[in-house]
Amino acid sequence: MADAPADARPGPAGTPALAIRDVRKLYGDLEAIRSVSLDVADGEFVSLLGPSGCGKSTLLMIVAGLGRASGGTVAIHGEPVTGPRRDTGVVFQSPVLLPWRSVLDNVLLPIEFQGLSRQTYEPRARDLLRMARIDQFADALPHQLSGGMKQRAAICRALVHEPGLLLMDEPFSALDAITRDEMGVELLRLWQTFRKTVVFVTHSIREAAFLSDRVLVMGRRPATIVEEVAIDLPRPRQIAMTEDEAFNRHVRRLRRAIEANHG
Amino acid sequence: MAEPSSSRRAGSAGTAAVVWPVAVTVGLLAGWELIVRALGVRPIILPAPSEIVRVMIARHEVLLDNLWPSLTLTVLGFLLSVVGGVAVALLITYSRIFRLGFYPIIVVSQVVPKVSIAPLFIVWFGTGLVSNLMLAFLVAFFPMTINAVMGFGSTDGDIQKMARAFMGSPAQIFWKIRLPNAMPHIFAGMKISITLAIIGVIVSEFVASQEGIGYLIKLSSGLLDTPLMMAAITVLSLAGLALYGLIALAERRAVYWQPPADVGAGGG
Repeated sequence: MADAPADARPGPAGTPALAIRDVRKLYGDLEAIRSVSLDVADGEFVSLLGPSGCGKSTLLMIVAGLGRASGGTVAIHGEPVTGPRRDTGVVFQSPVLLPWRSVLDNVLLPIEFQGLSRQTYEPRARDLLRMARIDQFADALPHQLSGGMKQRAAICRALVHEPGLLLMDEPFSALDAITRDEMGVELLRLWQTFRKTVVFVTHSIREAAFLSDRVLVMGRRPATIVEEVAIDLPRPRQIAMTEDEAFNRHVRRLRRAIEANHG
Repeated sequence: MAEPSSSRRAGSAGTAAVVWPVAVTVGLLAGWELIVRALGVRPIILPAPSEIVRVMIARHEVLLDNLWPSLTLTVLGFLLSVVGGVAVALLITYSRIFRLGFYPIIVVSQVVPKVSIAPLFIVWFGTGLVSNLMLAFLVAFFPMTINAVMGFGSTDGDIQKMARAFMGSPAQIFWKIRLPNAMPHIFAGMKISITLAIIGVIVSEFVASQEGIGYLIKLSSGLLDTPLMMAAITVLSLAGLALYGLIALAERRAVYWQPPADVGAGGG
């Protein structure tokens, strides 16, 4: 696909929030990613959609600075990514909370790691917990929370140090369908407040269509972007919208794109 | 689910877990007492529980006088093994050379029955406290090390990835993640080590010593004073139980985040 998608809004300085250029990844002889290029504008919500094992998580980990590309470049606000960065927050597939820390202390972990003042950020952490509707569990231990609540805490942790870019690696895939829908709505509510740039990896077509401004469909290994679909549904989005014809038109288009490449 | 203040104390299941072992113990002791009395077994062969208790009270001075040195050595040997075991485990975890070069040797050396080295220690360190302490340490050291190595190595990959993503330094990752994560394993090692430290001390007191419970057991055996020997064994067992209990208690406080696994339905 083209280097810069036509609808990518430029950031304040004219540089995109995230610029991926010709990124490739090889594991020995195995080609996992073949030349992916992508721009994400400031405040945009972009999903990478593809089946399991298509290399979309690998790409996200490269953006997070947790994996190395075999070629190409990734830049966040114009700065090349060479490792984990302060201005990114990551939500993983499992919540990975530390079981011996209270929910609040888990959320403050990035603050401690980055040598920032706990006192300064504690009110923010509590605000986040309130917005995620788990503030009554601030002092609870993770094992006392349900799966959905744990993942909410993980999202708060990813946002606590005010990153400009939120990277989410199939964050709701371990949750049941009903909780998953709820989490999508909650995530959008948080996003509406913070307007972070979000890159969201998922294998759920409906989830991608419901959440995103733009969905990039990834083909089977070696991964490339095979289709780009702008989701022009109005915001704020409600679960009821998933019944609408407009929503289902997007879903059908995404499904066709996936089937064309995986059928 | 999701009840922050949910009690960890088990209800009727917990009560049953206490009542049954106590009832069976009392039953066994009563049976022992009855059989000894009914058959008129001589105390030199098998004293009745009541006789053992009588001796424990009557001769508490000699028992306690010999308990303290054994207890002191056990605790010292145990503490040395914890410090040494954790230190060596850190070397194995963080030094490639140590892991590749020494860890296999440490594992293989486990097959040597450590108490068989006791006479050698006497040759090296003489028949003093040093020999006894060294044996207690040596016996308790291995399980401590192995468990600590397992603990430090048990941080799961996702947690390590998360820690790197949020920019934890290696030192922060150690103090805030690896060490607390290793605590359950370290306590498991400590529970094994304390019982082994007792064995180490008693064996070394058998071999050569002028005091201690091991010495008292050997002495009373030589004097055919079976009631005293049984009293000494009982005191030793009670002391061992107390030490183990202290560690289990410390574990519950230190590893507060793990709902007790052995109690069925309780907890979150």
